Amino acid sequence: MKKTKTSLAARRAFLRKLGRAATITGAVVGAGTAGVMQQAAAKSESPSASFPTPEYDWTHHRWGYGVDATKCIGCLRCVEACKRENNVAGDAHHFRTWVERYVYLEGEERPHIDSHHDPVNIEASGSEKEYRFANRYKGKKVEKAFFVPKLCNHCAHPACVQVCPTGATYKTADGVVLIDHKYCIGCQYCVQACPYGARFFNEEHGHSDKCTWCYHRITKGLQPACVEVCPVGARVFGDLKDTNSPISLFIRNNRVQVLRPETGNAPNVYYVGIDKEVA
Amino acid sequence: MPKHIVRLIALLAGFGVLAAFAKWYFTVDTFYEYGHYRAASVTEIAAQEPVFQTPRYCEACHQERHAQWSAGNHKSVICEVCHGAAQGHPQNGKLPIPKDTARLCSLCHEEMPGRPRTQPQIDVAKHSGGQQCIVCHNPHAPKIGAAAARITGDASAGQKLAAACAGCHGAQGISPNDIWPSLAGQHAAYLARILGAYKSGAQKDVAMTPIAQPLSDADVRDLAAYYGSLSCKSAPGPAKVGDAAAGKDLAKNCSACHGETGIAGNPAWPSLAGQKGAYLQNALKAFRAGLRKDPLMAGVTRGLSDADIANLAAYYAVQSCALPTEGKKTP
Repeated sequence: MKKTKTSLAARRAFLRKLGRAATITGAVVGAGTAGVMQQAAAKSESPSASFPTPEYDWTHHRWGYGVDATKCIGCLRCVEACKRENNVAGDAHHFRTWVERYVYLEGEERPHIDSHHDPVNIEASGSEKEYRFANRYKGKKVEKAFFVPKLCNHCAHPACVQVCPTGATYKTADGVVLIDHKYCIGCQYCVQACPYGARFFNEEHGHSDKCTWCYHRITKGLQPACVEVCPVGARVFGDLKDTNSPISLFIRNNRVQVLRPETGNAPNVYYVGIDKEVA
Repeated sequence: MPKHIVRLIALLAGFGVLAAFAKWYFTVDTFYEYGHYRAASVTEIAAQEPVFQTPRYCEACHQERHAQWSAGNHKSVICEVCHGAAQGHPQNGKLPIPKDTARLCSLCHEEMPGRPRTQPQIDVAKHSGGQQCIVCHNPHAPKIGAAAARITGDASAGQKLAAACAGCHGAQGISPNDIWPSLAGQHAAYLARILGAYKSGAQKDVAMTPIAQPLSDADVRDLAAYYGSLSCKSAPGPAKVGDAAAGKDLAKNCSACHGETGIAGNPAWPSLAGQKGAYLQNALKAFRAGLRKDPLMAGVTRGLSDADIANLAAYYAVQSCALPTEGKKTP
């Protein structure tokens, strides 16, 4: 009985000391962290000075993208331009943007969906470095058909950024999701996480890759390459903070929708003229 | 405090210090600057040089082409869509001029399910007969003769003016000799264009230039309307030059613009059926020599021999200029 009492007292004393130690450690760590946080908060105010173009301040912009699928003619100039602009691997299976073709044939319930990397389309173009939709539904009874350009949605709550274990992918203050190729360890967790299949893995250099909305162009006042080359104006880009920008007008003047809103990623690519099968 | 506890605390503290140092040491510069990522990577990505340069860049040197392109239907198709990205041009050499235009143009204009109705689309095989698109279409301003297609002139006013032309072109627009062209039944749009070219000096001819220069724009329209309204009196005589049968094969290359039997489907291009053989021969030779300036005709006549020209002229001279009513008439 006595023995038990002594050991209990000792245990209490020990726990008290441990508690004090933990409090002190916590205080030290907390103070340290607060310092770091303050530092981080202070620096995120205005990073404009560190940009290559001094006139660009990312706190003044929030970029957005629109796709009018009713205008798209499936010429795939956007896919080609993107590859060239961003030096994406020159085969049909690595791409930052792509165009899907949905064809509903008479008497069938599900659409036929293909894209430029479909073997039939590769054969029609004659090479994996050129892109062309084969006229494979010519003469068939087509009930409905349309093209849908796709790209990274630069979501407001991107799952890819959440899962990145190293901080190699992130969302910038102007609303663009970027990848730090030097910091990416190539785990491809983000490729899995993206509900839109917008990311791919660059085996050659061992990092994930995806659309940047041509960040190097938009920060210089240019349009993304795909928007620049689109001959029919199916792709629209602009600043959501500017109420008269092409994208603001696009959203205001059309009834727009986003892909897979149920995933909670809050995409920033707005679509017009797509169908229930498009996701 | 028992020794082993002190040691344990010291060990934990040591580990803590080591961990803090490791974190400081292994975290790259600028990592927490804006958030949980390397701030320098933002500027690295933004520093990349644009590859596509936009039409404004091209305009600096190619003003003439730029003006033509920006006034035409292809103004939404920027230079670099067809010629490739302009980064490094002109320092690193020329940009390609697409050769296989039938393939290039069909990327957008091949008739295909899914393309919106507003997009001009063709059945490539039927439309061109295997020819390159640039034979008829200027890629920088592809619409053919849209503005010239409708000529509203006063034919009766033209008839009075035409008295001066009758000496060479015939009283009813049917030329009495083989050297001067018949004008009766020709497309008014073409007549107005060519007469306007003589008037402006864009095309020169010893006989036509002094006649056309004093004409007003209204006179040109009236004359074109008058001759366009006349009947071409389909009575093709025997060919005085070349071999019409041999010309038939060659004429397949001309059919896209001038029609299979020389009746042009597009009013911007002249009909050739029943035209004077010697005139056609002279005109083709003038195009080949560059005396008559037309980028399309210069291209297609370049490879023709004198015999080819004679045969072509003979083929068109013996065609019936009247639109076939029952089936196709063969010579």
